[in-house]
Amino acid sequence: MSRISNDIEFRQTLGQLELTQQRRLAAMFIESVISLSGDERIGRVLKSANNPDASVDEMARALKEAKTASLYSYTRCGAEADWREQAGYFVARAAEAAVMPEGQIRSGGPAWQAAMSCRMARTCLAIDTGEDAEHQESETQYQILTDYLNEQKT
Amino acid sequence: MSATLDKGHQVFREVMDAPVASFFSSCVSCGLCAEACLFYTETGNPRYTPIYKVEPLRRFWEQEFTLLGKLKKVVGLSKEVTDEELVEWRELAYDACSLCGRCSLVCPVGIDIAGVIRKMREGMVASGNAPEGLIGAATRAVNIGSPMGVKLHAVQAQARHVEKATGLEIPFDREGVEYMMLMSSMEIMNYPEYLEAVARIFHQAGKSWTIASDAFEATNSGIQIGSSDIARVLVSRVVDAAERLKVQTVISPECGHAYTAIRWDGPNLIGRAYPFKVKHILEVLDEFRAAGLLKTEGLDETRLTYHDPCQIARRGGVIEQPRNLLNMVASNFVEMTDHGKMNWCCGAGGGVSANEEAEEIKMKAFKRKKAQLDELNLDKLVTACANCRIQLEEGVEKNHMELPVVGLTELLAEHLVEDSKEGS
Repeated sequence: MSRISNDIEFRQTLGQLELTQQRRLAAMFIESVISLSGDERIGRVLKSANNPDASVDEMARALKEAKTASLYSYTRCGAEADWREQAGYFVARAAEAAVMPEGQIRSGGPAWQAAMSCRMARTCLAIDTGEDAEHQESETQYQILTDYLNEQKT
Repeated sequence: MSATLDKGHQVFREVMDAPVASFFSSCVSCGLCAEACLFYTETGNPRYTPIYKVEPLRRFWEQEFTLLGKLKKVVGLSKEVTDEELVEWRELAYDACSLCGRCSLVCPVGIDIAGVIRKMREGMVASGNAPEGLIGAATRAVNIGSPMGVKLHAVQAQARHVEKATGLEIPFDREGVEYMMLMSSMEIMNYPEYLEAVARIFHQAGKSWTIASDAFEATNSGIQIGSSDIARVLVSRVVDAAERLKVQTVISPECGHAYTAIRWDGPNLIGRAYPFKVKHILEVLDEFRAAGLLKTEGLDETRLTYHDPCQIARRGGVIEQPRNLLNMVASNFVEMTDHGKMNWCCGAGGGVSANEEAEEIKMKAFKRKKAQLDELNLDKLVTACANCRIQLEEGVEKNHMELPVVGLTELLAEHLVEDSKEGS
């Protein structure tokens, strides 16, 4: 398949995949930015997102871990912004999206939502450093999806 | 007397107007305000009785403005308000009060107790007794433009992210548009989905809007800490930008006290009427609904309820609008036992969430909300204030409850019928 090169194609393609595939891709997107989070819970959440045979209980535990990671990393009202720390919050939000139960999934699906949060994580870093890396992250995500689809074909 | 205490007394004297004097002279010590305050009901601590939280100000009024009080002071039956006492009262005036106004609503003689606590805070600020967290937030708000130190380039970066995700433009500094959008730092930092939802909804409604690059912040730390001077500076920034851009309406975002600041306190702070309207985002969205400008599809069938943010519902009167909007997109909406104007606070408003010293008590206060939620066997909780949302999420997590919390604007956007939801 030719390389995905824009968000229209990216979102449409993600939307056509099975839920377990979307969770797998969400995990792959998160792996690309996981260095922005120091929370070891994220790694455990990704294992569940990557496991197509994960039980309902395992997914519920993973969601709880992701939510906890998110709550431990958000910026409190009135606290001074630390954008590097905030990047970790968005990685946790991406992890939440990756394991969100079916009834609570937001529009676009888990992979799209995770992709957006991963880009926000990069945006936070860009705000901190002054270097815009969000574009680069979306290119990385296009490549991940393209590679994944090619692998599925073979 | 220390210089700071002298300043505190001076400000107590300045805030002592006819309403405050009449409030103090009419209190019948009935205690109804205690039962209306979640800091009292969830701790049983009588010091958290709302009217007691302003006791130093009441005594100051008595000693300075009543004959009996002056006599009591002379013969030593009433002691002066001291530095030590104000230090002690910091917990009562800040940590244990979210300015939710429930006490004001139940007072049988009509005392606006929350309003008096705001005045008490003015004296606390002047005497150097405001909490560090609020001082930091207020300082950043004045010097940087945001209590969380969010600068314009951060907002622009988030805007670019949303533009890419939606394919819609996030307009900055557009003159002559209908609406000028404010955002809270909490939304900018923690909930970018709010801006995305707004962009999509306004696009569908065909309404023009903009963000002012020099006045994007809605949060007013002056109101929270109790400094009218700071509140005035922050309101003036918004007013100046709205006038420069010649907008018709300024929209307060999903933030409770921001609405109080810009909608109700603002004109009094700057001493004149605005040449534009101020509306809460839910009021605007409900107007779009009523005008048939919102096309939605599907219904959220989960069992959900709506937490009324105090400043929006009780003190702001925005009660029917969120329910109209919820009924557009949800088929199983249920009310909490106390809702609308009598809703219980989340426990973190009025600067409590920005005050690290209040961490423990704000979670005790959340127990009231937990009890309300436990009665309903819910799948989802909806609200319209980023500050409430964080407190609710934290309370849910710490109390091992399984309950997702979502913003109403975002929920509405999830159900929009759009030609294309794809990004560019």
